[in-house]
Amino acid sequence: MNRIYKMDCHPEFIEGWQIRFGKKNNHIYASHEKSSTKLNMTAIFFIIFSLFGLNNIHAQENGFTQVKDLTKAKTELSKLADNTSTIQSKFIQEKHLSFLTENIISKGEFYFKSPNQLRWEYSEPFEYIIVFNDKNILIKDEDKISTFDTESNKMFSEISNMMIGTIQGNIFTDSDRFAVKYFENNSQYLLELDPKLPEMKNMLKIIKIYIDKSDISVAKIKMIESSDDYTSIDFINRKLNQPIDNEIFNIK
Amino acid sequence: MRYLILNNILLSSTPPRRRGLGGSKKVTYTNPPGPLFRKGGNFLLLISILIVTSCSNPYKNLTTTEYSINEIHQIPYALPFSEKALIYKANINFFNNDISGLLILKKTDESNYRIALTTQFGLKIFDFELNHGILNVKYCVEYLNKKVIINTFQNDFNLLLMQNHINNIFVIENPEQDQKIWQLKSGKLTYNYIQETESEKIANISFKKRNSDKISVGLYNYKGNIPENITLEHHNIKLKMNLKLIQ
Repeated sequence: MNRIYKMDCHPEFIEGWQIRFGKKNNHIYASHEKSSTKLNMTAIFFIIFSLFGLNNIHAQENGFTQVKDLTKAKTELSKLADNTSTIQSKFIQEKHLSFLTENIISKGEFYFKSPNQLRWEYSEPFEYIIVFNDKNILIKDEDKISTFDTESNKMFSEISNMMIGTIQGNIFTDSDRFAVKYFENNSQYLLELDPKLPEMKNMLKIIKIYIDKSDISVAKIKMIESSDDYTSIDFINRKLNQPIDNEIFNIK
Repeated sequence: MRYLILNNILLSSTPPRRRGLGGSKKVTYTNPPGPLFRKGGNFLLLISILIVTSCSNPYKNLTTTEYSINEIHQIPYALPFSEKALIYKANINFFNNDISGLLILKKTDESNYRIALTTQFGLKIFDFELNHGILNVKYCVEYLNKKVIINTFQNDFNLLLMQNHINNIFVIENPEQDQKIWQLKSGKLTYNYIQETESEKIANISFKKRNSDKISVGLYNYKGNIPENITLEHHNIKLKMNLKLIQ
C-alpha cells in the first residue's frame, strides 16, 4: 500500500515548500518541492512595522480616545515615511506566554536606509541578523549565513514590494488586509489593525501601533495572538536621518 | 574495513562494542571485499546471522536488574522534573529546511507539560500541552498542523521528557563502556537512557522499535542538572533538532 501524506509549508523567512510523506513497503519516504505561492505574513508584518519612524516616548495603554478629526490624522500619518531617509534604533522585545510567570526578553538594534535597505539584529539572548539589501536577503544565525534572492523567490519579491508600498505611506489605507481603528491621546496616535485575511487572522487577533505625534514616528508595536499571548516591541534611542554606512547592510 | 570488523566479531567471544548512539546498526554489504566472502552464500549467511543475533541485544551478557516502574524517579535525569521553565534556542532541520526560534519547556503539573516554539520575532509556531504522554495542540501554524507531524512531535517530546507509558524498567551495568543503561520497555518499544558512570549524567537517549533505531538524542555540557546542548535525530525521516540552553 502506498499512502501519500501531503502538507503545505511556508516556514519563517525561508521559502515556500511542500513535503510529501509516503509509506512504501514499510519504508517511510519523503520528498519536497518548492512552492513559492504562499506568503509568510509574519515576515511581511515585521518588515512593515520596522519601516516606520521610531520614538522613545513610552506608550500609554490608557487614556486613548477615538480620533475626532480623522482626515487630519490620516494626513499627518501619511507624512510618516516622507521625511525619513534613515532610521537607527535599539529595541526591546517582550514575549508574553500565559503559562510563563516572566516574559521572554530579546534585545537588539535595527537600521533602515531608504529606499530598500534594512538590517534587523538581535544581540540578546543570542545573535541573529536579517538583512534586506535591494534584491538580496541575508540571514546570519550564529556562524551560518544564508542568502536569498528576491528575484527568484516570489515571497521575497512580495516583501520587497510591501517595503516600497510602506515607504510610500499607503499601509493604513490597505483596506483589503486590515480594518483600521484610530485612537489618540495628547502625545500619541494608537492604530488598531484588525487583520482581514483568514491566514493572518489565525495568527494574530490585533496589532496595535503607537505613533508619537511630535514627529509621527512609531514608539511601540504590540501584536496580540488569538490566545491573548502577545509580543511587544519598544523602540528606544532612535536616531533619524543620520548617515548609515552601506556596509551595515552586508553580512560577512 | 568492514572485513576487519566482521572478522573481529567472528573471532571474539565478547559482544561487539556499541557503535555510536544506536548500537545495533545492521551492516549491509554489496561488494564483498575479500576472498572469505566468495566461498559461497553459506558463509555469508552465517556472518549475517551472527551479526544480527549479536547485535540484537548488545547488553546480553551484562548484569541486568529489574526495577519497579515507580522507581523511575531514580533515573538521574532532571529535564522532566525541573520546576522552572527551560528556554532553548532551537534549530530544526526538516527535510533540508530550517526552522529556528525559541523552544520553551515548562512543567505545569505532574505528568503535564507546556511546550511552545516561537520565532525570533516572538510569534508562536506551536504551543502544545503534553499530558500523560498525549500531545494536545493549543496552537499550531497551519503548515505543521498535520497528524503525521504532530505524532512525530509527540514521540520526540515524550522521549525527551520521559513521558512514555512503560511496563518495565531494567538497569544494565556496562562497566566496559563506563555506562549504566536505564532501559524502559513497553512491548516492542525500548527507550534507553544511558548514564555515564563518571559524570552520573544521562548522556544519550535512544528509542528503538523491534531493535531498530528510530530516534537518538545526545545530551551535552550539563549546567547543573540541565543539559546545555541537546541534539535529537530521527533515523527514518530527515528530522534533526538542535537545542541550546538560554535560560
